[in-house]
Amino acid sequence: MKRIEYMASMVFGGIFLLLSVLVVTETLLRKFFNVSLQGVDELGGYALAAGATLSFTLALLGRAHMRIDIFHEKFPQALQTLFNWLSATLMALFGLFLFWVCLQIVLETLDYGSTAQTPWATPLKYPQGVWLAGLTVFAFTATIYGLRASWLLLSGRSAQLNEEFHPKGVSEELKEELEDFEHRQQANGSVEEVSLSANISAQPVREGTQ
Amino acid sequence: MSLSVVFVGFFAMLGLLLLGMPIAVSMALIGVIGGVMVFGMPFVDSIGSVVWSVHNEAILTAIPLFIMLGELLLRSGIADKMYLAMAAWLGRLPGGLLHTNIGSCALFAATSGSSVATAATIGTVALPSLNERQYSMRQSLGSLAAGGTLGILIPPSVNMLIYGSLTSNSIGKLFMAGLVPGILLSLSFMVYIGISNMGKDGKREEVITLREKLRMSRFLIPPAVVFGIVMGSIYMGIATATESAALGVMTALFFSWRAGRLNMKFLQESFIQTARITGMILLIITAAFVLNLTISLTGVVDELTDWVTSFGLSTTGLLLVLILFYLALGMFMDVLSMQVLTIPITYPIVTALGVDPIWYGVFVVLMCELALITPPVGMNLFVVQSVRKDGGNIQDVMWGVLPFMLIMMLFTLSLMAFPEIALWLPNMMS
Repeated sequence: MKRIEYMASMVFGGIFLLLSVLVVTETLLRKFFNVSLQGVDELGGYALAAGATLSFTLALLGRAHMRIDIFHEKFPQALQTLFNWLSATLMALFGLFLFWVCLQIVLETLDYGSTAQTPWATPLKYPQGVWLAGLTVFAFTATIYGLRASWLLLSGRSAQLNEEFHPKGVSEELKEELEDFEHRQQANGSVEEVSLSANISAQPVREGTQ
Repeated sequence: MSLSVVFVGFFAMLGLLLLGMPIAVSMALIGVIGGVMVFGMPFVDSIGSVVWSVHNEAILTAIPLFIMLGELLLRSGIADKMYLAMAAWLGRLPGGLLHTNIGSCALFAATSGSSVATAATIGTVALPSLNERQYSMRQSLGSLAAGGTLGILIPPSVNMLIYGSLTSNSIGKLFMAGLVPGILLSLSFMVYIGISNMGKDGKREEVITLREKLRMSRFLIPPAVVFGIVMGSIYMGIATATESAALGVMTALFFSWRAGRLNMKFLQESFIQTARITGMILLIITAAFVLNLTISLTGVVDELTDWVTSFGLSTTGLLLVLILFYLALGMFMDVLSMQVLTIPITYPIVTALGVDPIWYGVFVVLMCELALITPPVGMNLFVVQSVRKDGGNIQDVMWGVLPFMLIMMLFTLSLMAFPEIALWLPNMMS
């Protein structure tokens, strides 16, 4: 699973890095040489379509789809279980719904052989195909999660359900940030010995009265 | 569709959100139910093309790019040392390191875009020193929590981008409009810190030689260059918001490479975080557009506008009511859901009354900043509280942040009195 997540995030990052390179090249050429590479804008739209659907799945795997958790933790255990299950189920239904409505669009595109209203006149079936593939993966993953939550609910393992599907609160996010900061400090420290205590603590505080 | 149905819809959605349902799902659910109730199944058929047009929108491409820019600057660690450089310059002011809190939070949050990362980083670096030197704990915590909110106003700001995409306004103008208010608000915070630390008990730091100051300033170069390139290219009309984000990403990559941090692990960490945040935001935006479709097709906003104007409120009166409305929502909602939930409804009403759309963007983002520090669930309060190690009560943070909240509200009022604060710079743009 980790491996898939890793690969997918590299693909996601790769799409937008590559796009950045193209956009920067286009901008500089336009500014300094008055040459325009047509269609970078259009490409940006397709990059978003592919990247967005991929990122839906990655957010799902990272439990990043935001839920408001201030009341959640105050609910009795049984209600928490119910809402965690409901939340996973609704997400699955939403994924399937998105897939279904977007499938209609792609089928229409195939029927009419639609092309983009741009100088390139890109046949839309290609970018939309990639887009639909991303949505399929998202719907599939969300459904698996929904089924897993339902199965845990039906087999009475509510503790397990709550552990796997509870909303990711700020504290969890903060913990990750603090760990990352710790790592950065170590990495920085090895490059260069700088720390706040070394630089500022060496100078005593001076009270206004002194 | 009658107004009562609209209110039922709004509160049903609020209910779903507060029960802890995913934000995107709650919005889409209410949108689809509302649409099907009025138009039947043909409504569902029109959703697919809306989703495609959102996902194929070149302007929204700026969202993943700006998030990636922030992640690259954050994960490379090149922004971590800003506190030192700021301390060297600001430590001599009455209030010493407290000014550094505001300054470095503003700069860090502007570049990283994440309140949690800002509070975690600056808080961890600053709190031990502040504690050791016996700075007022309340004021230290308050300045960190309030300082961390500045990033969503100071461009580049993802919240501004979301406002711009929901209301089809120029992202470049919105960014420019946030700049002067962001700087003025930071200065107002610093003036308050300065004044409250005047007398004999006031804290300040030792003199640092100019040479040392300049030496420390090298830590400010990467964030300053990235900021300059992004904002400069927009201001001079060289680049659109999306293009400036791409320029920023390339510059941030260059500095990461210079700092010796450009390796696969760093890229992977930055990418996965970018993907998660992007996915979360874009799914919510997708749902918001589905809800928007229902709102615009049913024409409920016109009815709502008529209803609001029937009270005979002046523009100022309406904005004051909105401040109260946002304060109430901000008590228990997070910034993103507050934005996507309210903008589609309040924006048409406010602009119908003649409020400038760009100005209103700054207003909404200011309200979001306020929400980040409004008890009981202002996220920054909680984050700053979690970073401290002295085991104090969260009430210290709430008391500490109170003066800053008041300053923000006064600032909002002055923005209403002098809209030029926000509009001057975007109007200057070429």
